[in-house]
Amino acid sequence: MAQFLLQMSWWVPCYGLIGAVLTLPWSTGIIRRTGPRPAAYFNLLMTVLAFLHGTVVFRSTWNQEPQQLLFHWLKVADLDLTFALDISAVSVGAMELVTVLSLLAQIFALGYMEKDWALARFFALMGFFEGTMGGLAISNSLLLTYALLEMLTLSTYLLVGFWYAQPLVVTAARDAFLTKRVGDILLLMGVVALATMSGSLNFPDIYKWAETAHLSPTTATLLGLALIAGPTGKCAQFPLHLWLDEAMEGPNPASILRNSVVVACGAYVLIKLQPILNLSPLVLATLVVIGSVTAIGASMVAIAQIDIKRALSHSTSAYLGLVFIAVGMEWTGFALLLLFAHAIAKALLFMSVGSVISTTTNQDLTEMGGLWSRMPATTTAFVVGSAGLVGLLPLGGFWALQLGVDDFGIQQPVLAGVLLSVNALTALNLTRVFRLVFLGQPQPKTKRAPEVGWLMAVPMVSLTIITLLVPLMMQRLSLLPTWEYINRTSVVLLVSSGLIGCGTGATIYLHKAWSRSMNLPWRFVQDLLGYDFYIDRIYRLSIVFAVNLVSRFSSWLDRYVVDGIVNFVGLASIFSGETLKYSVTGQTQFYALTILVSVGCLGMLMSWPFWGFHVLDYLRVSSG
Amino acid sequence: MLSALIWIPVLGAALIGFWPRPLNPSHSRLVALIAIALTLIWTIILGSQFNLANGEMQFFESLPWIESLGLTYQLGIDGLSLPLVALNSLLTWIALYSSEKSISRPRLYYALVLLINTGVAGAFLSQNLLLFFLFYELELIPLYLLIAIWGGQARGYAATKFLIYTAISGILILAAFLGLTWLTGSKDFNYQPLLAQALPLGQQFLLLGAILIGFGIKIPLVPFHTWLPDAHVEASTPVSVLLAGVLLKLGTYGLLRFGLGLFPEAWAAIAPFLATWAAISVLYGAFTAIAQKDMKKMVAYSSIAHMGYVLLAAAAATPLSLVASVFQMISHGLISALLFLLVGVVYQKTGSRDLDVLRGLLNPERGLPLIGSLMILGVMASAGIPGMVGFISEFLVFRGSFPVFPTQTLLCMFGTGLTAVYFLLLVNRTFFGRLSEQVLNLPPVSWFDRTPAIVLAVLIVILGLQPSWMLRWSETTTVTLMPTRFSSQDAVRFSSGDAPRTPIAQISLTANSDRFLRSASNDH
Repeated sequence: MAQFLLQMSWWVPCYGLIGAVLTLPWSTGIIRRTGPRPAAYFNLLMTVLAFLHGTVVFRSTWNQEPQQLLFHWLKVADLDLTFALDISAVSVGAMELVTVLSLLAQIFALGYMEKDWALARFFALMGFFEGTMGGLAISNSLLLTYALLEMLTLSTYLLVGFWYAQPLVVTAARDAFLTKRVGDILLLMGVVALATMSGSLNFPDIYKWAETAHLSPTTATLLGLALIAGPTGKCAQFPLHLWLDEAMEGPNPASILRNSVVVACGAYVLIKLQPILNLSPLVLATLVVIGSVTAIGASMVAIAQIDIKRALSHSTSAYLGLVFIAVGMEWTGFALLLLFAHAIAKALLFMSVGSVISTTTNQDLTEMGGLWSRMPATTTAFVVGSAGLVGLLPLGGFWALQLGVDDFGIQQPVLAGVLLSVNALTALNLTRVFRLVFLGQPQPKTKRAPEVGWLMAVPMVSLTIITLLVPLMMQRLSLLPTWEYINRTSVVLLVSSGLIGCGTGATIYLHKAWSRSMNLPWRFVQDLLGYDFYIDRIYRLSIVFAVNLVSRFSSWLDRYVVDGIVNFVGLASIFSGETLKYSVTGQTQFYALTILVSVGCLGMLMSWPFWGFHVLDYLRVSSG
Repeated sequence: MLSALIWIPVLGAALIGFWPRPLNPSHSRLVALIAIALTLIWTIILGSQFNLANGEMQFFESLPWIESLGLTYQLGIDGLSLPLVALNSLLTWIALYSSEKSISRPRLYYALVLLINTGVAGAFLSQNLLLFFLFYELELIPLYLLIAIWGGQARGYAATKFLIYTAISGILILAAFLGLTWLTGSKDFNYQPLLAQALPLGQQFLLLGAILIGFGIKIPLVPFHTWLPDAHVEASTPVSVLLAGVLLKLGTYGLLRFGLGLFPEAWAAIAPFLATWAAISVLYGAFTAIAQKDMKKMVAYSSIAHMGYVLLAAAAATPLSLVASVFQMISHGLISALLFLLVGVVYQKTGSRDLDVLRGLLNPERGLPLIGSLMILGVMASAGIPGMVGFISEFLVFRGSFPVFPTQTLLCMFGTGLTAVYFLLLVNRTFFGRLSEQVLNLPPVSWFDRTPAIVLAVLIVILGLQPSWMLRWSETTTVTLMPTRFSSQDAVRFSSGDAPRTPIAQISLTANSDRFLRSASNDH
C-alpha cells in the first residue's frame, strides 16, 4: 500500500487542482441554491487527502534513496520532453509544508472570507495555488518547473485581483503579473538556451552536463543571469520587488501563502538551479549583491510602513534576500533551513495580522492600539511568530540565522554583518508593529475588538504550536548542531543583534504624529523609505515610459506612414486616372502626335546600340 | 474522398442560394450548419483513415480538367494540410453558429460563408498550382462581399483595401507559378513533379521573392499588413473569426508548401533575412497593439505578432521548428478565434469596443462574468501561459529555432512578453474595475452565445495539456518537407560567437540542415 502510494505520489499536487476544478459549478454560478460553501468543503477535503497521502509518502521516503518518476509527456521530432519528479525526503517535505500551510490558510479563509460572495472562486484559486506549489516542490524537470512557475504567476494575478472592482487592486494585479512575467520571460530564454546546449531539461541531466560543460564566460554569465531572473521576480528581489508590496491589496488568506511558501518556491527553484549558476562566478556575485541590497533596503523600508500588511511583506523580501545571498555563497543548507523557518513564522504572523484586520476592518497601524487584552490568541500568535522569525529566542529563525552567521562569520564578515543587521532591523520593525497594534491606548477602531471566531482561531493556534515545535522538528531532522559544536561567538552576536533591535523598537518614540514628522530631513528619510526609495516612480519614468513611447511611435508609424503610403498610392492612381480623362479631347491630331512620339521613343530604344553611346557597355564594364 | 470536403459546402451554398421558393432564415442557417457539420465529420473520418507513418500525399485524386492549360483537378492531403482542413471546418461551423439569427439577407450570407469554406479547403487540398490559385482567389470574393455588405461603418474602404491587397497577392503568386512552369519547361502545373526542379539560384530567388511578398500580404507580414486591422474592425464577428482563424493560415501554408517546398535552396539562403523579418513583424505587431484603444484592433495586431512566430519557425526549418510552425498555426487559429468571438459578444452586449469606455465587465450580476473569465483564459493562452496550447506551440517554435537563429528567437520571446502587456491592459481596463455607468444592466448572455467560446476554450486547454494529439498528425510530413536536397558534405559551421559547438550539433541538427547553419553563421 505504502509502495503504491509512493508510486502515485504525483497525485498529491493533483488533489489541489481537482479541488479547483470541482468548484467550477459554484464559481460559474451554475449552482446557486446551496451557496458557495460546498465548493470550499470540496477543496478542504482535497487538501486533507493531499496531506494524508503526502504524509504516507514522506514516511516512506524518510532515510531512503531519492526516487525518480519519469513521465513522457511529448515526443516530437528530435525533442523528448519528459517530466521528472524527484521523490526525496526534502522535496516531499517541502510539498508537505505547502499542503499543511495551505490547509490552515483555507480553514482560516473560511472564517475570513465568510461574507464574500465569491468564496467558491477564491477556493478554486487556492486549490490551484496549492497544486502548483506542490508540483514545484517535487518537480525535477526544468520545463515542468518553468511551467508551474508561470501558472503560479497566473494564479497570483488572479488572487491579487480577486476584489477586482477596486482600482488599487487592479494596478496591484497588473504589476504583480507583469513584474513576474519579466522574470519569467528571461527565465524562458535561459530555459530554451539551456535546453539547446544540454539537450535535456531534467535536472539530473543538466547537472551532469554542467559538470563537463565548457562555456565561454559571456555565455555562462548570460545564461546564469537569465536563469536567476525568474526567481528574482518570484521572490520579490531588488529590481523586481515592487509587486509583493502592492499584492497586499489582495485577500489576506492568500497573503498568508504568498508571503510564506510562494516566495519560497522561487528560492527553491533557485536552489535547484545552483549547479548551473556555478558555471559563472559573476552570476553568483550578482546573487549576493541582489540579496544584500534587497535584504538591507527592504528591512529599512519595512520600518517606515504604516500599513500593517506592507510592514510585514517588506520583511519577506528581506529574508528572501538572505536566501539569495546563501545561494550565491553556495550555502544551500542554510538557504533551505531559513526558508523553512521563515515560511512557518511568516504564515503565523500573517494569520495574526489577518485576524486583526478582520476584527477591526482596518490596516492602518496609526489607528490601532491596545488589542492585547481584547484578542489574546492573536497577540500570542504575533509574539510567537515574531520570535520564530527573529534570531533571539531559540526558535526556528534563531537556529537558521545562527547557521548563517556561523557559515559566513569567518570568511565573509560583511555578509555576516548584513545578516545581523537584517535581524536587528526586523526585530525593530516587529517590536514597533507590536507596540502600535497591541500595546498603548485603544483607539476608536480597536475599542470593540472581540477575538476572532473559531474558524480563524483554530488554524492560528495550531500554527502557533507548530511554530513553537519547529526547533523540535529540526532536532528530529538532525538539522541542529549539537551542544559542543555551537559557535559561541555567532550566538552571542546574533542574540545581541536581536536584543539591540528589540530594545530600539521598544524605546523609540511612537506616536500618531510620528507617522508624518514636521522635521524636514527626518520627513525626507521617512518618505524615502515609506515610498520604497521612489523606485516605482523611477520605473514609471524609465521602462513604462519607454515602452509607451515606442508603442505610440509604432502606432503612429503604422497609421500615418505605412498606411499613409498605401492610401497615397490608392489616391494617386485614382487621381491620375481622373487627370488622364481630360486628355481625351477627340482631336485626331493629338492622338497622332501621341502615337508618333511613342513610336519614336520605342524606335530609339530598340536602335540604341547603333547610336554610338555605349553607355550600357560602359556601365557593364565598370560594374564587372 | 477529398472532393467531398469541397463539394458538400458548394452543394449547401447552391441549395441555399438557388432554392426556388422563399426560404425561412432559420432553414438556411440549418442547411449551412448541417453542411459544415458533415465536412467536419468527414474530416474526422479522413483523420481516422489517415496513415500517420506516411509523409506523402494521401487520398490522392486526379482528374484531367483543361489539359491545354496544364490545369488538372488534383487533390491530396498530408500532415501539413490535414490539421488546417480540420481547423477550417471547425471554425466555419463556429462562425456560422455564432452568426446573428436575425441577420439581413440570410440566404446570401450563409451561401457566402459556405463558399469561403470551399475556397479555403480547396486551397489546402490542391495539388496543382493553378488549382490552388483558383481556390485562393475563390475565397477572396465571398469575403469581400461579407465585409462590404455586413460590415461596420467604414466597410467600403476596408473591403476595397482587402480586395486590392489580396488581388495583388494573387497576381504575385500567379506570376511566380507561371514563371516556375515556364522556367522549368514543365507541361502542367502539377505540384509533385515540380518538387524535383533544379533551377539556378538566381531564378529561384526571383520566384521565391514573388511568393514571399504574395503570401506575406496574406499572413500578413509588416509592412504589408495594414489591410488586416481595417478588415477586422469593419467585419462582423463570425467573419473576423474566419479571417483570423483560417484565412491567414493560407499565407503561412503557402509559404511552407510553395516557398520552402519548391525553392529549398533559395529559402535556405535567405533564411536569416526571413527570421529577422519575423522578429520585426512580431515586435512591430506587439508594440502597435499596446497603443490600440479598440479591442478588435488590439487582437488584430496581436494576430500579426503571432503569425510572425510561424515565419520564424519556417525560416529555421529544423525538424522540430517545422512541426512547431504547423502547431503554432493551429494554436493561433483557436486562440484568435476565441478572442474575436468574445470581443464580439462584448460588442454585441455593450455596444462598444473602446478600452476607455468599458470597465468592470466581470461584475457577477450585471456584467459578463463568464465571458470575462473566458477572455482571461484566452489572453493568457495567447500570452503563453502553460497549460494552454499557446505555451507549448510557442515553446516548440523557440526551442526549434533557437539553435539556428538565436538572436531573432530571443527577440521573438521579447514579443511574447509584450503580449502579456497589451492583453493585460485589455483585461484590466474592460473587465476589472467598477462597472461603468454607461453600460449598466447588460442583457444576460445566453448559453447559446457561450457555447462556441466554451468549445474553443476546452480545445485550447486540452491541446495545451496533450499537445501530442495535434502534433502526431504533422510530424512525419514536416520531416519530409525538410529541405532534403541540401548537400550533406558541408561541415557543421555554427559560430554564434561563443556557444558550444558539439552539443548543438548533437541534438537537433542533422547533416541535412548544414546549409542552414552556414546561413545562420552569416547572420552573426
